[in-house]
Amino acid sequence: MCRWTIAALAGSALAMTALPAHAAWKSYINRELGFSFMAPGEVKASVGTFRGNIAGPRQTIVYRSVDNNIEYKVTVISFIQAQAEGATILGEREYMFQDGKKVLLDTFARVEPGKDAVYGRKMVVDLPGNKGRSTGAFYFTKGRLFAFEATVPANGDLASSDPSRFVDSVVFVLSRTEPGAVELETPALE
Amino acid sequence: MRLTGLAILAGAALAATSAPATAAWRGYISHSLGFAFAAPGELKVEKGTYRGAVAGARDTFVYRFVDDNIEYKAVVIDMSDKANDAATLLGEAEYNFQDGKKVLMDTFGRVDRQFGRKLTIDLPNNGGRTSAAFWFINGRIVTLQATVLPANGDYDSPEMGRFVDSITFFTVRAPDDAIELPVPSK
Repeated sequence: MCRWTIAALAGSALAMTALPAHAAWKSYINRELGFSFMAPGEVKASVGTFRGNIAGPRQTIVYRSVDNNIEYKVTVISFIQAQAEGATILGEREYMFQDGKKVLLDTFARVEPGKDAVYGRKMVVDLPGNKGRSTGAFYFTKGRLFAFEATVPANGDLASSDPSRFVDSVVFVLSRTEPGAVELETPALE
Repeated sequence: MRLTGLAILAGAALAATSAPATAAWRGYISHSLGFAFAAPGELKVEKGTYRGAVAGARDTFVYRFVDDNIEYKAVVIDMSDKANDAATLLGEAEYNFQDGKKVLMDTFGRVDRQFGRKLTIDLPNNGGRTSAAFWFINGRIVTLQATVLPANGDYDSPEMGRFVDSITFFTVRAPDDAIELPVPSK
């Protein structure tokens, strides 16, 4: 009996070491940009670019982490001077996300309740060339376009719930952010 | 031979009189609101109300037509005091439109550099089928909605799509003889 117990313990220990190493999920907040989210892995900030027919060329602020072969990315673009065009700018970004891809999900997204609600869109697409699956959530609020994207490569776990956990973690009413959230710096744009 | 010809003529005449009388489609334009569309039937201008948690309570301005038991509505909601929330206000209106109903279609709408949404729903209690398009432009929500009523019953009617797809925001695209719509009074 004792030998069986030892064997079972050894087996479970072996199984645990064979599993991929998952980083802990942490909450992140950027008070200046007015949002928070949760992600695993080390989140790094950078500056990127975006171009849309309607949005035009824009610099972007990107927060990115990779964990367990899944890329988590938040992109923030300022449209302070074009807030009244927010609906069309958001629509264009959503359209670009799914353009030429196989759409698996395209549905309403809403963050915050009642009069504080921010409406957007949540989508899941299969990338062309069998390159994996992307889950995205898109919002336009307070003059900024927010894109949350989690991408699982083709050799990853396409059914993973982590992409949904990531895109569903967004908060715009910062009092609802989890305590102990890591403060994110805002990279300087040119 | 002559008898056969007469019979065909009589049959055609009978068919023409028994078919539903559909009105001609005409172009309508509002230069002040910045859009144009086409619809059949007689124009009626009405006022309505809209309420959303984010939008609050709003008066609406409705251009309404009924033809062959299909109701066509162009609804304008002034949101100019909250236009900076355009994306959420439009999303809320789309959400409210389909909330609690059976959604048959929910897809991108794109017209004249404007991105919006097109939806088709079945109304509760066999109340008919509505196709709608939603846009936010110049501080206003503009929505075109066509409802096939049960009395019509042709829920695959192409007239719904014809109406919601007729909108243009480049008013130069409106037909030359488009009828100017009355301006909403506050």
